[in-house]
Amino acid sequence: MRAYAAKHARSATWRVRASETPAGKRAALIVLAIGMTLAGAGAAGLVLARHPVAARWDAVIPLPAPTGRIDPARPSQPGAVPQPVSLIIPSLGVQTSLIHLGLTASGDLQVPTSTRVAGWYTGSARPGAIGPAVIAGHIDSRSGPGVFFHLDQLRRGDRVYIRRADGTLVVFRVTTVQMYAKDGFPTLAVYGPVPDPELRLVTCGGTFDPDAHSYLSNTVVYAVETS
Amino acid sequence: MGIPSVIRWAIVLMALPTLLFGLAGVASASSASPGTGWVRLAHLSPNTPAVDVYLYSFGDPSAELVLHHVGYGAVSPYQPVNAGDYTVAMRAAGAGATTKPVLSATLAVVAGHAYTVAGLGPESGLRLQVLDDQLTTPPDEALVRVVQASLRQHIVTVTYGGNSVVSDLAFASVSSYKAVHPATAALHIAGPNETVSSTISLAAGTVHTVVVLDAANGLSVDNILDAQGSAVMPAGGAATGLGGTAPHAPSPLPWLLLIGAGSLAVAAGSLRLRRLGRKRA
Repeated sequence: MRAYAAKHARSATWRVRASETPAGKRAALIVLAIGMTLAGAGAAGLVLARHPVAARWDAVIPLPAPTGRIDPARPSQPGAVPQPVSLIIPSLGVQTSLIHLGLTASGDLQVPTSTRVAGWYTGSARPGAIGPAVIAGHIDSRSGPGVFFHLDQLRRGDRVYIRRADGTLVVFRVTTVQMYAKDGFPTLAVYGPVPDPELRLVTCGGTFDPDAHSYLSNTVVYAVETS
Repeated sequence: MGIPSVIRWAIVLMALPTLLFGLAGVASASSASPGTGWVRLAHLSPNTPAVDVYLYSFGDPSAELVLHHVGYGAVSPYQPVNAGDYTVAMRAAGAGATTKPVLSATLAVVAGHAYTVAGLGPESGLRLQVLDDQLTTPPDEALVRVVQASLRQHIVTVTYGGNSVVSDLAFASVSSYKAVHPATAALHIAGPNETVSSTISLAAGTVHTVVVLDAANGLSVDNILDAQGSAVMPAGGAATGLGGTAPHAPSPLPWLLLIGAGSLAVAAGSLRLRRLGRKRA
């Protein structure tokens, strides 16, 4: 009985081994192949999917051009030009009131506390007076688009309207849109003297540095008054 | 063995777009409105009737700018124009656009520079003069210059707040720029037997042209603001973004898990194969 059992056990072992060896090798090879495929796919995915992805935000909904008296007069005395109260960019669907911006204690440009409105730097020209009028607005908040989110989509020839305290409009024509690294910001080109009424729209752009909580670049739109 | 090198390559490839984007950001930092300058036109000849003034881009027969019926004392606003060569033609008011001009002049517009093309002198000796206009001032100062366009008083002396701007400036000539401290003060113009005074404000960072003109009963003054910038310029750029819409890099975790699982499978498979091989031997 014991011998029988031992004989059968041996033969069973042999039977198992005889049938197991090629199948086991096949299984091991399959596992190896699957493993290599997975690792390869993972590596490829790691390499190919490194491009930062932007969330999709609402597309531009254009606005009609504002109506009102366009003031063609170009008074040479700055005091004669009323203060700006709102900004309209029909091609970007932007319509915002304008708050007043000064300088921070460290001499930087103040920015609006709300990301939904733009602000006019009171140390710059009044829109329509000789000199560059500088208006700044946020590209985004912590969670979504700001008032100047689409600013870099402005193109040469696009119109920008400013409504002033007396209800008149002044119209600007975009001449160029530029992006600058913040550490190479062209202060003179943006704020420096010009002999005609001009407009600068400033927002952020480029790469966001999450450590500094700041974009590394500024987008600047240059525009000149047009009738 | 293969996996660390894959990761090494992955890191290199991950860094590439960042490098490229960084470079692009630096490369786009160029000047403001590249290739644009400014031109304005003026009629400052006391006894010359009104004129039509044309500005042509050199070689282009259609005028870039036409000012009709420009009378004595008129100074146009500055017009932004592309840098390049231009011709200014003056015709009698109402004369056809293709008639021979009374006067013409050429000017080369350099990007970022401003020019005044002025008809100066008496009608008998009318000339078109191109003035190079300055746009920037010394820090915390204003610039002022005088154009003497009065025939009533052939020579004038100009003071601002008691300080001399120019002495004995002859008819049809233009003074150089004088830097003055910003103030609201009396601008005093004295000819041999007529004077005129006007209180004007000259702010820091502004450039002014003062034109001395003949009026019906004496001299008059036109104080023109030529150029102005922000008196106080903010330091650097603007902090106008909080990052909520900035593109975020996707998490590498799923891919790393996949690589990990694959590696385990490879290891298990290799181990099994080796064991089987040993058993057969």
